[in-house]
Amino acid sequence: MVNVGDMLVGYATNEDVRKRGASGGLVTAVLAAALEKGLVENVVVMKHINEFEAVPIITDDVDEVLASTGSLHSVPVNLAKYAMGRKVAMPAKPCDAQAVIEQAKRGMIDLDNTYVVGLNCGGSMHPVTTKKMLVEMYDIDPEDVVGEEIEKGKLIFKTKNGEEMAIAIDELEEAGFGRRESCRYCTLKIPVNADLACGNWGVIGDKAGSATFCQVMNDKGVKLLDNAIEAGRIEVEPASDKAIAIRAKVNDVMVNLGNTLEKEIFPEIPDEERMQYYMEPMADCIDCGACKEVCPVCACGEDSKCTMFHSLVDNYKMSMYHMVRLLHLSDSCIACGQCSDVCPSDIPITLLQSSFAIPSQRKREYTPGMNVDDVPPFFEVILK
Amino acid sequence: MSDFEPDILTFCCNWCSYAGADLAGVSRLQYPTNNRIIRVMCSSRVEPIHILEALKEGTDGILVTGCHIGDCHYIEGNIHTDERMKEIVDALEHLGLKDRLRLEWVSAAEGKKFQETITDFVEKIRALGPNPLKEKAKEE
Repeated sequence: MVNVGDMLVGYATNEDVRKRGASGGLVTAVLAAALEKGLVENVVVMKHINEFEAVPIITDDVDEVLASTGSLHSVPVNLAKYAMGRKVAMPAKPCDAQAVIEQAKRGMIDLDNTYVVGLNCGGSMHPVTTKKMLVEMYDIDPEDVVGEEIEKGKLIFKTKNGEEMAIAIDELEEAGFGRRESCRYCTLKIPVNADLACGNWGVIGDKAGSATFCQVMNDKGVKLLDNAIEAGRIEVEPASDKAIAIRAKVNDVMVNLGNTLEKEIFPEIPDEERMQYYMEPMADCIDCGACKEVCPVCACGEDSKCTMFHSLVDNYKMSMYHMVRLLHLSDSCIACGQCSDVCPSDIPITLLQSSFAIPSQRKREYTPGMNVDDVPPFFEVILK
Repeated sequence: MSDFEPDILTFCCNWCSYAGADLAGVSRLQYPTNNRIIRVMCSSRVEPIHILEALKEGTDGILVTGCHIGDCHYIEGNIHTDERMKEIVDALEHLGLKDRLRLEWVSAAEGKKFQETITDFVEKIRALGPNPLKEKAKEE
């Protein structure tokens, strides 16, 4: 029996899952148990194609869940939209969990029926950049890569013939590779907004690499873990004080780095240049609408203001579509980076959205996607 | 800049501000002719998107007027307006257009205030110069 707030170290009892999992396979086992015992009807997982490609699938097959084990840093997909209207359990990066909560605030996701197993995330990488980086920096053929891991500020790739190559992330980022831009200034590394916060930070001693550190965040987390223990899929034990301290230290280092990089990435813009700052990159827009399609916090659906009031016939340099989206996301943008990833014109949309949304959110002391009871600032008018 | 005549768009609510504008008219109060009035049923009908659209089309300044807080015909409409305007002012601040929008409460009895507001606003916008988006629109 576990309680809210418990810090645990656990692993999957299934040897195969434990071995293939990035760190003990606890998350996979918890998801499989939830499906097995009927806690949920579906599970959202990433179906592995190769190291750089995976597709999100919604499945009710336990074998498929077990097969999905293993981490993928270079497939950044936000899963929040896949949870809509289902009784579902899903693994989630901190930004996935944020998006789930933002969707719940907008009535698109029923949080009572959605179980979110959070994963620590030090940042994700774009597959195209990663492949290029492998050739240029590591001198490895992307086809030979069988696994990767981020450890102690280094990005490690494992090849088919058992070799390991490590290069410091700072060095990679200076060369223009490494993590996606939005991950660099992200400061939510441990998903404290999910039901369970899992990860390999704080797993020490003989368990390193074969167990998962897990913090129980709420009642749903208790349910998930109890269910998995009952099903005999996982074993847990309380984490030592040392482990907890190490986890907190790793987090502090990552958050500090995020804060430092944020200052570098968002320079002060003089008032008179602001217009140009937004207009210049957006002039490349070809109106494909992909950024809205992938946006995990957008809850408007097909008939939305951004597309309704926008027409190519206008032919102005500043697209109305983006103006409305800037305004609309100013309280909800979580800087997940999806829009930049999909943009066919390579517009840094996430950067523009963030430089607009972050000051607005800070001014109102509102952080999107953290607590479901925090009402977005423009949601309701408080009558005095 | 001496020959620059700003285009001002004024949104008036049906119940107070429009009547206020009417009163200014029947009282023969003189005010600049640069403004065009759009009558809306309530000031909360003015969406942020209307303001963006107007600015994009090259309007130099936008004035939103409504009943005083507490006097709204729809009880709480103008409180919503106030909240909405906070959002749009933020947005315009980012784009460097903040001074081109003003929210003012004008009641049906305040013909004089309506005249003064318009005169003052037109002068402010005249000093600011043309809307940078208008220049862009002309270029293309």
